[in-house]
Amino acid sequence: MFLIFALITLIGALAMFRQRNLIAAGLCLVLSFIGVSGLFLLLSNPVAAALQIIVYSGAIVVLVLFVIMLLNAHEEEPMEKRRLIQRWSGAGVVAILGAGAFWVVASSKALHPTNVNPTINPTTLGQLGTHLFRQHVVAFEAIGLLLLASMVAAVALVKRDL
Amino acid sequence: MTNSFWLDIVQGGLSGYILLAFMLFVIGLATVLIRRSLLMQFMGVELMLNAANVALLAFGRFKNGDVEATTFYLFIIAVAACEAAVGLALIVGLYRHRQTTDSDRANDLRF
Repeated sequence: MFLIFALITLIGALAMFRQRNLIAAGLCLVLSFIGVSGLFLLLSNPVAAALQIIVYSGAIVVLVLFVIMLLNAHEEEPMEKRRLIQRWSGAGVVAILGAGAFWVVASSKALHPTNVNPTINPTTLGQLGTHLFRQHVVAFEAIGLLLLASMVAAVALVKRDL
Repeated sequence: MTNSFWLDIVQGGLSGYILLAFMLFVIGLATVLIRRSLLMQFMGVELMLNAANVALLAFGRFKNGDVEATTFYLFIIAVAACEAAVGLALIVGLYRHRQTTDSDRANDLRF
């Protein structure tokens, strides 16, 4: 099961990276997010899986697709001029960072003494709510304020004559 | 790179989740650095954020910090929603001024 969901996730992400059409790239991103939510189910965390589907593949990707259609930017614009140095240095930075991160992850001591069978009691919404409102009430209110501030900022950025 | 390392990955142990998160992160990073469209770069950022979430929840499950990890996942989602709203507003604003969503063409500091 893990391999199936991991493959769905990676194929969706790679298809998004290779895709020319931006709408199709957004749909590939949805596929990848659905794979990630399957992984969260395998981690016996149904709350996170539901949130992943609702917020990411529901809200955020729909927002991105709306903007793509609004700006009529279905295809990537043709290159202004070939910027070979930037292109290849970008690929080089990805390769170097990827190799370094792989080395760090694979040699990490935290990974090796793993128990393959973790405890099988799923996280419930009740546990989460109790924890959220007992330990993190201030952060919860701050997140509310942050959402309000970002909403105001988004409106102020786009509105022409404020 | 012992045999048990690869077995752990195939069976869906902690190493498997961390390796998957790492590969997702590299794909997102490549999208941000190589693709030119700002909207594609935005989707790459979302992918990198998801890689971090996968790593967080996997560590939470395997190191017995499940409820705490899910709480932080909730906060990360809220911040991601804020980032999506402001980022898309910036892209729309740039398009209004310059009629482009190509990050190569937005290379002046002045409008």
